[in-house]
Amino acid sequence: MKTGLVFEDLRKLIPHIVEALFAVIPSGVGGEGAIPKLTKDAEKRLLRDGAKWAVANGYGRAEDLEHTEEGGCLRGADAELISERALERGLKQVGTLGSGNHFLEIGRVDEIYTPQIANALGVFEGQVVVLIHSGSRGLGYQTCEDFLRVMNNAMTKYDIRLPDRQLAATPIRSAEGQDYLAAMAAAANYAWVNRQVIMSLAEKAFLKALDISPAALGFSLVYDVCHNIAKMEDHVVDGKKRRVCVHRKGATRAFPPHHPQIPSDYREIGQPILIPGDMARYSYLLVGAEAAMEQTFGSTCHGAGRVMSRAQSKKHSQAINIDREMERRGVVARYQGRATMAEEMPHAYKDVADVVETMDLAGVSKRVARLRPVGVVKG
Amino acid sequence: MAEPRRGFREIDHTADVGIEAEGATPAELFAAAAQGFYSLIADPAGVAAKEEISVAASASGWDELLQAWLSELLAEFNLRGFVGKDCAITRIEAARVHGTVKGEPLDLTRHRFHTEIKAVTYHELKVWQEGGAWRARVIFDV
Repeated sequence: MKTGLVFEDLRKLIPHIVEALFAVIPSGVGGEGAIPKLTKDAEKRLLRDGAKWAVANGYGRAEDLEHTEEGGCLRGADAELISERALERGLKQVGTLGSGNHFLEIGRVDEIYTPQIANALGVFEGQVVVLIHSGSRGLGYQTCEDFLRVMNNAMTKYDIRLPDRQLAATPIRSAEGQDYLAAMAAAANYAWVNRQVIMSLAEKAFLKALDISPAALGFSLVYDVCHNIAKMEDHVVDGKKRRVCVHRKGATRAFPPHHPQIPSDYREIGQPILIPGDMARYSYLLVGAEAAMEQTFGSTCHGAGRVMSRAQSKKHSQAINIDREMERRGVVARYQGRATMAEEMPHAYKDVADVVETMDLAGVSKRVARLRPVGVVKG
Repeated sequence: MAEPRRGFREIDHTADVGIEAEGATPAELFAAAAQGFYSLIADPAGVAAKEEISVAASASGWDELLQAWLSELLAEFNLRGFVGKDCAITRIEAARVHGTVKGEPLDLTRHRFHTEIKAVTYHELKVWQEGGAWRARVIFDV
């Protein structure tokens, strides 16, 4: 999301805004109750309709859907394939961040690489922006778990052997494969609703903390892109156009300019991509480029990647005062779990600048702007 | 040879967390794994044995049974926030386990929460016997 605000005018108010965000957006373990508990019927509708359910229920605006991958709704979602247990877990978690590497970040745009594209996206130096990283929450984890069992049986049935038991596969045209795609689509729709609601709550938190009008805040969605999803897409393979299932796990879609699935206002510049780095260094705004279609099935990186395991990072964090370290780096942080913070500190991650630069040099995605975190909410 | 002891330790894994557990019998192993699992979620020191839940799981083989057992505990946590302190296995065989866990719902004002576990994975999952002890390794997706 971008705002019409400039960081320098807001510097002193960042702690106040972070506090407001932390208060309205539940995070961490068991984070729930951001919005009234759903009925099962409402939950099934949102699994089918995706982000438009959120808009219809007062969270965000219709134009947000234009700037969401797939318009915030993957077709073919079948809520009947989501287990009772998964549905139960989903009832109270809409609008919650969760734990692990999920976060909400207030950033300031501190470097522009391609002014023309930044301009087209309405992004300028010094601007206050917001990044949300969260997904389908417990409903998605449970659906994964449920389908691992289905897949395990399918692998025996179709005689598929894989090197790791946490990996699972089934022919995409099998009944199990089709069921999985329909269930995954429902979970993806839940994720879009979740982010749409978080975004709307974040806007309210900003308005309340700053006591300004929505027009003065100028909160609007630049783009919402998935980090883990499988989709049927058209790609050229061995010189022939083919319909293939592209699974972007720890990868992000990066369609170049003029791709038909890019919103019309971004058609000339390419699809925007958000790459989170770590909590203190920086995150990036990119756009998709030509080589992505030729070399990577229209995909680029997803984040920085770890250099330290969670346990190593925790050990490393014992020697530092987490709060003081974040403060020293100019970031106001609010969090539920100290252990999660210790595992997620910047020292645990690679420098994301190297990752996005590599992608830039490969022509897969192009850097537009660098965003420096100034406030973080974590689980 | 050292006496097998009932217990667990956290092990290192790049993006996830794991435990290795040990016991003299499958029952002890499964109870120790449960305790290791709970210690990843929250500091067990602050958890009180206020209520008791009964948990059962079935699967084919020890590896799968351990995964199913911990997944049931995870489901209890996910649905009701239940975190355990003491665990007793009442019946166990290679395909079925039944046990009771004493604990209480997680309360962030009193408990020291550590991390949210997304799933009990099959990655490097292993239950084995060694030197008279039952051992297991489990990696959790966090």
